[in-house]
Amino acid sequence: MKAGNSIRASGLVVDHRIGDATVRALDCRALSVAGGASVAVTGPSGCGKSTLLGLLAGLASPTEGSVTIGETEITALTEQARAAFRKSSIGVVYQADNLLPFLTVAENIMLQLSLCAHGTRRAGDVKANGRVRELLDRLGLGDLGDRLPDELSGGQRQRAAVARAVVHEPAVILADEPTGALDEANANGVVRLLVDLHRDLGATLVLVTHDPEVARLMQRTVRLRDGSVVEDSEASHAG
Amino acid sequence: MLGRYVWADLVRNPRRTLSTMVGVSLGVGLSCAVLFFVDGLSASMTQRAVAPLPIDMQRVLTAPVGEDIRLAQRLDRDGQIRSGDKVRVSLEIRNLGRLPANEVIVRSLLPAGLDYVPRSATIDAAPIDHSEENPFANGPARAGFNLGTVPAGVTRTMHYDATASTDLDPSVTSVHSTFSTRESLAPTDANVPQSVPLAELASAIKAVPGVAFAEPLSFTDLSPGSLASGDRTDPGGVRLFGFDPSYTQRDTTIRLVVGTQQPGQALISAEAAASLQIGVGDAVRLRLPDGTQLEARISGIVDLTRARSLFASRKGADFETFVYVPSAIVLDQQRFSTDVVAAFERAATGRGERLKSPPTNEVDIGVTRELLNAEPGVALTETQQIGAAVTAVAGHQDYLVDNISNTLAVARDDAAAAKRLFVYLGVPGGLLAGILAAYAGNVLAAAQRREQATLRIRGASRRHLLSMLTLRVGAITGAGALVGVSIGYLSAAAVIGNATLRRATTRSLAISGVVGTVGGLLATGAALYITGRRSIDRQINQDRARLSETPPVWRRLRLDVVAVLILSAATVTAVARSAFDGTPGSVYEGRAVDLPLVLLLLPIGAWIGGSLLAARGFGRLLRGRRRTSRVSFDRTVRTLYRLSIRRRSWAVTDGAVVVTLIVALGTSLSLFTASYNAAKVADARFVVGSDLRITPRPDSEHVYRADDSSGFVVGGIESVTPVVYRVHNVVLRSRRTEELSSLAAVDPTAYRRVAPLDDSHFPSSSASAALDLIRDDPTAILLSVHMADFLQARVGDPIRVLLARATNAQTETKMHLVGLFERLPGFPDGADALMNISRHDAVVPSSSPDLFLARTTDQSEAGLARAVNAVRAGPGASGGLQIDTRATALAKDQSSLAALNIRGLLDLDSGYALAMGTVAVAIFVFGLLLQRRREYVTLRAQGMAPRAIRGLISAEAATVAVGGCICGVIVGIVMAVYFVNVLRPVFVLAPPFHIDPGSILAVVGSILAATAVTSVAASSLVNRLRATELLRDEE
Repeated sequence: MKAGNSIRASGLVVDHRIGDATVRALDCRALSVAGGASVAVTGPSGCGKSTLLGLLAGLASPTEGSVTIGETEITALTEQARAAFRKSSIGVVYQADNLLPFLTVAENIMLQLSLCAHGTRRAGDVKANGRVRELLDRLGLGDLGDRLPDELSGGQRQRAAVARAVVHEPAVILADEPTGALDEANANGVVRLLVDLHRDLGATLVLVTHDPEVARLMQRTVRLRDGSVVEDSEASHAG
Repeated sequence: MLGRYVWADLVRNPRRTLSTMVGVSLGVGLSCAVLFFVDGLSASMTQRAVAPLPIDMQRVLTAPVGEDIRLAQRLDRDGQIRSGDKVRVSLEIRNLGRLPANEVIVRSLLPAGLDYVPRSATIDAAPIDHSEENPFANGPARAGFNLGTVPAGVTRTMHYDATASTDLDPSVTSVHSTFSTRESLAPTDANVPQSVPLAELASAIKAVPGVAFAEPLSFTDLSPGSLASGDRTDPGGVRLFGFDPSYTQRDTTIRLVVGTQQPGQALISAEAAASLQIGVGDAVRLRLPDGTQLEARISGIVDLTRARSLFASRKGADFETFVYVPSAIVLDQQRFSTDVVAAFERAATGRGERLKSPPTNEVDIGVTRELLNAEPGVALTETQQIGAAVTAVAGHQDYLVDNISNTLAVARDDAAAAKRLFVYLGVPGGLLAGILAAYAGNVLAAAQRREQATLRIRGASRRHLLSMLTLRVGAITGAGALVGVSIGYLSAAAVIGNATLRRATTRSLAISGVVGTVGGLLATGAALYITGRRSIDRQINQDRARLSETPPVWRRLRLDVVAVLILSAATVTAVARSAFDGTPGSVYEGRAVDLPLVLLLLPIGAWIGGSLLAARGFGRLLRGRRRTSRVSFDRTVRTLYRLSIRRRSWAVTDGAVVVTLIVALGTSLSLFTASYNAAKVADARFVVGSDLRITPRPDSEHVYRADDSSGFVVGGIESVTPVVYRVHNVVLRSRRTEELSSLAAVDPTAYRRVAPLDDSHFPSSSASAALDLIRDDPTAILLSVHMADFLQARVGDPIRVLLARATNAQTETKMHLVGLFERLPGFPDGADALMNISRHDAVVPSSSPDLFLARTTDQSEAGLARAVNAVRAGPGASGGLQIDTRATALAKDQSSLAALNIRGLLDLDSGYALAMGTVAVAIFVFGLLLQRRREYVTLRAQGMAPRAIRGLISAEAATVAVGGCICGVIVGIVMAVYFVNVLRPVFVLAPPFHIDPGSILAVVGSILAATAVTSVAASSLVNRLRATELLRDEE
């Protein structure tokens, strides 16, 4: 468990203006996740799960409130600084793989490493290549590194997306419905992979899901409704 | 329901709707603007065509001498003539004048169905002893009967009989009798009313609506030595005019140097006054053809050197040529009629020979200029109506020479050629708009893909989607067309001025508006519909991914390569068949320019085929080597950019194709215009002979010599040559024949420096070599090919030249022919021979240069103006010089197409091309953003700095812009070469290909600037995209 990967969100409010009206998309007064923990965020569609995840990733700014990861209050950072924080400390997996279509699987993963390592070490060195190769082997993509994303199946692409999210050993892994587009077998495989990697890396994992089975694999489940936390429960069986 | 949905879609996505509509508006706008532009400019073609006309219309009286003879014809039957009926034809000729009529010939032709009754003809009741034939239509030529002389006051009566072989209606088919005399050779019909006197005729014509003025003019040529004063006699021939002060006041080319025009007195030309050394108040004597003398007191001295209306030749062989006669006397109309015409009548009736130069009486007519403020076709209708009305005024007695209608008929055909030409020049713009619309349509289709998928899930069929597409395209193109017509009119008005545009008729503007709108709509609407329909079909076939990777048809079938091969073959064929030569037009030759417009398909083919081929090459260049196995991400942005354009080269190439097409069009039009304007300047220089033509006025106190050339080298003048030249100033004699000719004597060295000589005009050698021959050999002479052919002279043959013809100094010198030329710059009325001025001065020491040709140091318009001012302030300060420049030249050989404002068309086309270029680049950049927004947001989510993402977008856009500009300039140059060659017949000289780097840089710079601006704008939008939603959604 890492000390600098806890998550604290306080007074988070996101309002959207639609015409003259204001719609509150999120109203999360307080949410803390201990470093290295895994949390499932559940709730009906439109309850603010993805909005919350976007705020935690620093991809959006709240109307009010703050998000702090470790010692860094990311909501207080500039866009430039948030990007710098993201590339080193956060890994994101979405329902869509979002792999760059003109890069091979290995290059997609290498790109994340390159962004992360920029200015501190050469991404093209043997160590980086070895890290990518090792990760691909572990994810069962060892022979597919030179393929373009279009040449892979959905499950393979999503595993590649997971690899890209963890290759730089982030402090926090954020996953938004990572299994939404997969069949059951692939979905289970991807979730287990995420759980294993979060454990191995000691990263904090926040996973948005509709699937109670997937949620049960997390240590804790936070349930949202209409933008507010309505339930926060520990799962005794989760590892 | 569908309509409401489409409407809501269009209204709720205003940016998407407007960006698609822009292509339609620009397409319709451009096509309408080009047509409106042509409509407006047609009026300027009218002005250009009529500008060099000395006289709009001339009523030329056929028989001013001996016009008092009348022939009356009568039949003894005035009703229906039945077969077998006999008809008696009675003819009566009366001489009402004071003088006898000689060699009076009466001719009487019977119509088919009436046969002459043999031996029935009588004259003054006495039978005409003749054969079986009609004596009034005798022999194969059906010649008339010669009555001999009919004394003054005598009437002679003739009769003959005819029988009808069929039924005839005399009101439809009748006997046609005429007469002619030695004094009046033109046959005159029987029963014509009495001639209306000239002054009365002019007065009646002046009352015709549309006639600005109608002035009587009489003139005749008297033989050399006919003009004298005191004991001095002018040695040359004399042109004697009869016109009133009103004619002088109207014609600005007649310049009174001193004195006034007084009734009963005479004006004398400055040259004749100098020759006789007389002034106002002195008297002159004119020896008339009957041997009598006419005395007149001089009331004024006049400069007629510019009076085209007086000296433009009326003879068919050299019609409109300015045949100037230096010695001239002007009498008033009354005195010309009573004294001069009477003397000619006496001479004509008293001698046994025909007069060589009988007086000409005419009414010079000017058409109201406001009526010509229209396109040539409309102006022609007006002038033809005026011509018909003028002819109807006592139309029996003479004929009308309708110069202005003849000119406008050619200009009308030129205008039609211009319209076709401009439509061709506008075609690329229309196609470009279609391509732009298709490009925008692709982006639109990509944007609507998700919505259409949703609709299909909700049960929408292909038919529903296509109906919606039709409604959408209809709404966008309809609104775009309305905007397009408006901006088309406004842009055309901005370029040529609203006043010029309003000269066009409402009908032609309306037709142009409809044609332009329909053309623009078809191009852009079809493009939008086809791209949208293809997108729907891809959706429905659920194989978008596969199809989207399928290259377009042109790339798969290599249509670009095929097009370039066909183009090459067509070009070789056209060159081999001299198809680019065309037929030059000339309003003076009554011939419209014949442009081989079908050849304009070549530049359009080069444009499309070349752009696609260039794009193929560019794509191949971008792809480089095949995919590398290992990629280094040392420099993240650079690596991403390199991989993106290498592995998705066609995405960049497709954008580059559009930019190439736009830049190529802009480049070709700018180069074509630069060449066109250079050709116009070259033509004008050729007409003038150089940049300036300085002509000493005949009343100038200073007598110029050839050595005075250096005096004209003032500020802004580089070099000057003296020139001796006048129409018909020499007689050339070869071994076989002789001919009255126009000779130019020049300083060969200086002439070579100042005149725009063209080697192609010297068939036997180069221009320099030919001039060297007359420089080195004083007895050498060059002849025009035409004159050498007429004289049957070959190089080396002796030529005898009577220099200073019809002057005191005239003398013959022996020369020899050393070379030929087709045409020379500086002599629009034509030069038949060229010799060294030093030889001319040696033979005729008293001769003075007629003009000086000067070349300016600075060829710009400003440089020309400076040089003119310097000459006016310096050697021309006393006002004794007439200065013409290339800016004021009017080449009678030049087609009125040369008056076209091609610069305006360039401004119009370039403006639209730049607008389309900006839109295309914007569509590419924002389309890239639309299609790749997920990629950019993913990079953002991965932690890539906004600046790096901006760099990535800018680099790809710059690749498109730079690649498109490079390819476009190359293709544009090829297009321009075609354009210039196809339009070669418009000019007197073959137009040079002129490259204007500034205008190319303007086109390229605008595209690059648009790229930079839109890239920055698009990059800033990346940060405003809702990353969370984009990344979450499935593609």
